[in-house]
Parts: sequence; structure tokens; C-alpha cells
Amino acid sequence: MAQDHDHRHDHHHNAPPSDTAMRVKALETLLSEKGLVDSSAIDAVIELYETKIGPRNGAAVVARAWCDPDYKARLLKNGSEAIAELGFQGVQGEDMLVVENTDSVHNIVVCTLCSCYPWPTLGLPPVWYKSAPYRSKVVRDPRGVLEEFGVELPESVEIRVWDSNAELRYLVLPQRPAGTDEMTEDQLAELVTRDSMIGTGLVEAPTS
Amino acid sequence: MNGIHDLGGMHGLGPIDREAGEPYFHEEWEGRVFGLFFASFAQGHFNVDQFRHAIERMEPAEYLQSSYYEHWLHAFETLLQEKGIISPEELDRKQAELSQMGDQ
Amino acid sequence: MPLLTRDIVGGLVAGGASCRMDADVVPKFKAGDKVVTRNINPASHTRLPRYVRGKRGTITHDHGIFAFPDTSADSGTHSDPQHVYSVRFEGEELWGKDANANACLYIDMFDSYLEPAES
Repeated sequence: MAQDHDHRHDHHHNAPPSDTAMRVKALETLLSEKGLVDSSAIDAVIELYETKIGPRNGAAVVARAWCDPDYKARLLKNGSEAIAELGFQGVQGEDMLVVENTDSVHNIVVCTLCSCYPWPTLGLPPVWYKSAPYRSKVVRDPRGVLEEFGVELPESVEIRVWDSNAELRYLVLPQRPAGTDEMTEDQLAELVTRDSMIGTGLVEAPTS
Repeated sequence: MNGIHDLGGMHGLGPIDREAGEPYFHEEWEGRVFGLFFASFAQGHFNVDQFRHAIERMEPAEYLQSSYYEHWLHAFETLLQEKGIISPEELDRKQAELSQMGDQ
Repeated sequence: MPLLTRDIVGGLVAGGASCRMDADVVPKFKAGDKVVTRNINPASHTRLPRYVRGKRGTITHDHGIFAFPDTSADSGTHSDPQHVYSVRFEGEELWGKDANANACLYIDMFDSYLEPAES
């Protein structure tokens, strides 16, 4: 869906048929000429989100929580503050709630109305998270969604779906896989996937 | 608003389509739209609730057929026009001008 | 309002824009309270999705006081501060017999969306 831009809303303003890229360029140029936009600031925003803000941040939080019980306690009590201890904070992560997976509870996060997502810890969301199929289905049939992601959990595990409809943003604290006792915090962070922090995946033990 | 954006529980929207190695921005314009959000936010042209409501007011079929950053572009155009910051005519004019330059 | 320039991007992104408000508002509910969501159908902006309207749930956490988006979308400023709670809804309450086994929903609910329910 995201790759197909041919269905642009050309019926809007009696505009000549045109492609989205040109429309965006026109908008930025116009705002720039009016003194309302500085294009070099937009370059800086893009650079920040392409290089500094992504799921490696969340993985560092998870690995710290696995290694440091005091940190984990702070993280579950006040997510925003504990995440900020590692230097991650700001837009779309102002009010964080960290939810812990256990042997009896599995958490999974969605935003049914929009596409809200914890940017400071996970970066910008993937297209599937923003898509109608995921947003419509996961609240009604979370086990079906997990199956699509190759995750099967027994009925004894309670599935908690978190709809980020308003003020809170959610980060799942996945379970630490067995057989990782000897690993360092940095090595553990390498194991943590983005999907495991959304709740559509589990963290797997290293295979070798 | 009982709009198309309120998707929770709907059937029939298809399988979840995942992309391996997905980039943050598939095309350059997506990044520009993303950055424009921060620029508009700093200027205080509208708040996030107004931004969301502008997306919610999209024509339903168009909402489902367009991508996330196209929704954002739609919201910018709608709000900046409603607030009198740009006019549809001048935006169309600028676009035509840039297209002509591109053709040369 | 300031022009976004390169030098203030980092501060703006790291500072964020929480809708938390420093206001003296008494919560209507506390953790453990049984609630029922209102059945409202405004044509304006709301964060109360259709699938949780008129449903019975339980308050699990009070997150404090935030601007109310339904009002802020009209006013253009942070308005109508009120408590936001996590509310838990059992799968069967939302989806009846078609619910997944042992599944539930947690969602952010404002005081304006909730009424007390008999336990």
C-alpha cells in the first residue's frame, strides 16, 4: 500500500494531476518563501530520526532492566523517568508506561485511532503498525495477529492488548530468554528485537 | 467522530503486510512531510488534536487507499488552508511552477 | 511562535510536548473502581473509540491530569484538564462469544468518558 502513490487525491483542489513528491515540494517551498519554514531544520529532523532515534534505544532499556533489578523496579514504576536515565526522552515518549511480560501475561501494543508509538525508544513505526489490518484486528483477535507473526502462546497466558488511544505510550518489557545468564548487557541488547517491544514477537535465545 | 480512522474491531481489512528491512522513509518526500510536522508544531499553527481531526475528516475511501505520510500531507493542506496561512490557488500555482521547472 | 531552526530541533524533540497539566482536579475514580463508558457519538474529535463505548471495565491506574483532547481540538489550546486512567476491559465484554480466550484490553480513559458501574 505504501509503495503505491498513484491514487493521489487529485480531485481536491482542481489541481492538475501531479505526484505527491511535487506537492510536498510545493508546500515546503511555499512555506519557506513565507518565512514559516527553514528547510535546513527539516534536514536536521530527518537526520535525527534516521540516525539517533530507533529501537536500539528501547533494546538498551530492556537489557538494563534484565541486568539491574533496581532499574527494572524504577522502570515499571515510572517509565518516563527511568527511560530518561538512559538519555531517551521527548516527542511521543513524554508519558511512558512499561508493561512486563511474564510466564502468565503477554502484552501487545496498538493505536487503533491513529498510529501512536513510543518514538524515543522504538523510533518511527513500521508501515504494518500504522496499517488498517493491524489496527483493526489486534484488539479483537490478538491471538490471530500473534499467529500471523509466528507467535503462539498457550491459553493459560493472558493476552493484554494496550490501545494507545490517548496520553500514554507503551513499551513492552519482553521476557529474558533462558540460557543467557553469561551474557553482558550489551550482548543482551543485541538480542532484543523491535517487535518484542511492541509485543508481536518474543526475544529468542542465541542459536549458536 | 465516527470516522474511518476508528478501525478497532473491523473485519476484512486483509493480512498484515510486513516488509523486511523497512526504511524509516520510503521516499524523500516522506521525510520532508515528517519534518514539516515539527516546523508547523513549533510555529503553533495547530495542535496535535486538530492535526488528528483533520486526518479523521478525510474522505473514507481515500483514507484507506493512501499511506501514513499522505494522511499527514492532507492534514497540513487542510489546516494551513483553513487557518488562512496558504491558499489552495497559490499551492497549486507553486506546484505547477515546480513541475514546469522539472520538465525543462 | 518561533521558526523551527536547525539549532532548536534537538531541544524541541528531546523536550517533547506532554499534554499533562498542572491543575487541581479531583479524580472521579480510583484503582479498583468499576466503571461503564459513556455512549457518545460526537462529530468532533474524540479518543473514545466505538468499540469501547457503553462497556463495563475496571480502573487499574490513575495516570494524573491531562488536557482533554475532545475539547483541545476545538479550542486549539490545552483545555479541560482531567484525570486519565488505564481501564481494563475483559475480551468477552467487548466481543461477546467471539472474543479470544483469556484476552483483555487496556486503554486510556478520561473522566469525561466514564460513569460509575455497580460492582
